[in-house]
Amino acid sequence: MIEFLLNGKKITSDAEADTPLLWVIRDEFGLKGTKFGCGIAMCGACTVHLNGSPVRSCSLPVSVVANADIRTIEGLEDQHPLQKAWIEHQVPQCGYCQSGQIMQASALLATNANPSEDEIVAYMSGNLCRCMTYSRIKAAIQDVATQSDSVVQIYNPKTEAKRTQGVS
Amino acid sequence: MTKFSKDTFEKSRRSFLIGSIGGGLMMAFAPSINALEVASGGAVKQLTDKLFSPTVWFEIDTNGMILVNIARAEMGQHVGTAIARIVADELGADWQNVEIKHVDTDPKWGYMVTGGSWSVFQTYVPMSQAGAAGRTALIEAGAKLLGVNPQDCKTENSMVVAGNKSVSFADVVKNGKIDRVFSADELAKFQPKNPESRQLIAKPSKALDIPAKTNGSAKYGIDVELENMVYARPIIPPTRHGCVVRSVDDSAAKKVKGYQGYKILKDPSDTVQGWVSVLADSYYGAVKAGNALQVDYDLGETANVSEQDIIAVGETLAKDKTSGTLVVDEGNVAKAAESAKTSLESIYRTSSVLHFALEPVNAAVEIIDGVCHVHCGNQWQSLFLPVVAKAMGMAEDKIIIHQYYLGGGFGRRLMGDYMIPAALTAQAIGKPVKLVFTREDDSRFDSVRSPSVQQMNAYWDADEKLLGIEHGAAAGWPTLAVAPGFMPEGVDKKGKYDPFSISGANHWYTLENHRVRAINNPLAQKTFVPGFLRAVGPGWTGWAVESFMDEIAHKQNVDPIDFRLSLLDASGKNAGASPVSVGGAKRLAKVLAEIREKADWGRTLPKNQGLGIAISAGQERDMPTWGACVAHVEVDPETGAVKVHKLTGLLDCGTVVHPDGALSQTEGSMLWGMSLALFEGTAFEKGQVKDNNLNTYTPLRMNNLPILDINFVQNTEFPTGLGEPGLIAVAPAIANAIFNAVGARVRDLPIRPKAILAAMPT
Ligand code: FES
Ligand code: FES
Repeated sequence: MIEFLLNGKKITSDAEADTPLLWVIRDEFGLKGTKFGCGIAMCGACTVHLNGSPVRSCSLPVSVVANADIRTIEGLEDQHPLQKAWIEHQVPQCGYCQSGQIMQASALLATNANPSEDEIVAYMSGNLCRCMTYSRIKAAIQDVATQSDSVVQIYNPKTEAKRTQGVS
Repeated sequence: MTKFSKDTFEKSRRSFLIGSIGGGLMMAFAPSINALEVASGGAVKQLTDKLFSPTVWFEIDTNGMILVNIARAEMGQHVGTAIARIVADELGADWQNVEIKHVDTDPKWGYMVTGGSWSVFQTYVPMSQAGAAGRTALIEAGAKLLGVNPQDCKTENSMVVAGNKSVSFADVVKNGKIDRVFSADELAKFQPKNPESRQLIAKPSKALDIPAKTNGSAKYGIDVELENMVYARPIIPPTRHGCVVRSVDDSAAKKVKGYQGYKILKDPSDTVQGWVSVLADSYYGAVKAGNALQVDYDLGETANVSEQDIIAVGETLAKDKTSGTLVVDEGNVAKAAESAKTSLESIYRTSSVLHFALEPVNAAVEIIDGVCHVHCGNQWQSLFLPVVAKAMGMAEDKIIIHQYYLGGGFGRRLMGDYMIPAALTAQAIGKPVKLVFTREDDSRFDSVRSPSVQQMNAYWDADEKLLGIEHGAAAGWPTLAVAPGFMPEGVDKKGKYDPFSISGANHWYTLENHRVRAINNPLAQKTFVPGFLRAVGPGWTGWAVESFMDEIAHKQNVDPIDFRLSLLDASGKNAGASPVSVGGAKRLAKVLAEIREKADWGRTLPKNQGLGIAISAGQERDMPTWGACVAHVEVDPETGAVKVHKLTGLLDCGTVVHPDGALSQTEGSMLWGMSLALFEGTAFEKGQVKDNNLNTYTPLRMNNLPILDINFVQNTEFPTGLGEPGLIAVAPAIANAIFNAVGARVRDLPIRPKAILAAMPT
């Protein structure tokens, strides 16, 4: 039995301890927005937040997240400015990588509200987009970054401000 | 089966039905002219009885919402949006009221294939006409309600308007009784709106599928859950063909919690040979059990084939001028070769490439009341539905393929082979099954882009006049593998060839003597199932043609753009034909002339930097998108590393139906071109690809993103496709830029730093 917070809700999983968090989220709790791409922590499609930091859930045994705060794309509740920017910039093509892209980018902005272009590139290069929507991903992040502080506040409406600052 | 041709839909003569049904208004194509004659009732009866066979049909409900049903795969090209806009524009609809839905296969929906950048091309005319017919019916009914003459009415913003009177589509649908059949002839009389009166086409718009792709709610094949389903993972045998399972030892797998055993699959369709599927009550359980399972095989005959073996066969064939089938035979190349004073020979090779769609292939299958329901994202349902039927020993009308979003297509999901193991497993255990390939499984089962070898020869006379070019291209052929009936005959009647694998070699340059041989590489064909990979043949023919044109230009000491322009005279067969390729090579010349300005061609660059040009007319001669690319690169002369500073792209695809979608597709396809040029490529080793995950297979990421400057020629010509053409010119443009930067001519794709160093002039 492993207990953790999933998008603010306390849940318990009886999955085997070595089961990657990804499958627990997707198949036990039915949150399908988090995707399976490579299974070896090299594409980022499965990115979720663990206590505010981006992690690759495909390679994270569920036992590791006991008592942790896990947030998935569904946990942004369509409220994150990045999600609006993603529509504004018409970022997604097939869309499969985009939950992971948004979770990665939102973690960046939570700790660095106004990243430079180089910082964005460095932070986002672990996330593969096979459709190659990179220039739009970058533009959408830059767009939100220039709106600066509002990001940090809107990022996580349900939890206290401290956590929304990330784990820097 | 319907002939596999992009013209199928356009040329089919169907009538169009419009009728009030259950409170709404429904509009659809009749199945065929014959079926219409058989049907006794009018549109309402036929629609009620579901006697329609549309690729697309639409409904307007009493709130005025317009639902466009689309039988095409959505894999990132926002195809629904483009098609819905064509319809909505003609209807005079308010875009806010338009929704799209992707439908299931049912044999009666007609031929379902999404590939070759054809969707907009194929549907433009019929969808415009269908929209215009809908408008006519709405106006007729609306005029009655308004008490005016239909001639005095028009539609706009989902209203029928006559002077200062108007009635909304919603009210027309609520109050009008519509029962209307437009014959194929009546339909054909509708001309697409003239460009000035368009409200939606070619105007900025947001794609309808995007919001769901920003919040995790878009549903892909991998997200399907069926009640009581068992999770499965396939064990991929060591060779694609010919493996037989000798024995299975699952003693270690039994220790995995939730393990539910395995099945050795028997496949009458021979799609999967020597396969085992592993079952568990969770996917991770199936993965672990799969890793623990020991399977002993009788191996297929290709168990030791290497990339080099395949290339060597290709080289021998390309060299042998009697091999293959002639696809182009202009003038007399043999005579040109004999009389030549000088000549040039170059061999170009491309290595195997993975699709690596980010969503690994998967399918969920359940059999309910004797009907097999397959759930997955797929591009070519009509090809694999009969294969599923054969594998299952069931009738084709007992198979339904349910469509979902595709986590990347790129041609991988033209093959529906991954449905087969899922269906067989479900049949074998008598329970619903969701079978998901791990990334490694997906790569090992990929229908890769075949390695290719091309030999190019050019001949000059004593006055240094270019006499002609000879081109032999050897590769594995996807169409031969999955749809050999679709292969046309060569011009020498020596055999059939795969048009998709040679397209691009029959280019738009005017040459007095020109010969192209399409050659199948039998070892490639045997070792794997050659795949359709974004742009297919032009991905390698463009590499050879455009690199070689550059070599010729340099040999002749002519500017590469001037040289190309001199051959783009639009004479003879290169004049083009109305409406699709109207203008012919002239449009290509125009693109080339414009990009020369845009990219500031000919300027002086710092040391080790260069610009390179290449053009393309993909996807095919009868559906050309005219394109050019200029690459700006910098080469590190010590390491051979290439940095692409900028890619400038210019495309003429006629009317741009969905401009932002077109730009987005082209950004993607040009970066694909760059990724294939510099970052991808794998090799066969012991009968399988050696790279199967991102630890060694390394597509382009954000840190290698160049500046992209992409433009479209603004005109109102017939719209052609965009999903693939942007890719074609990029690799040769980069190679030509590398030559201009450091003088190294590279002829192998991908371009590796080592190859550049080896080719550097000393
Ligand atoms: S699936 Fe987790 S990083 Fe690729
Ligand atoms: S949008 Fe398709 S993988 Fe990123």
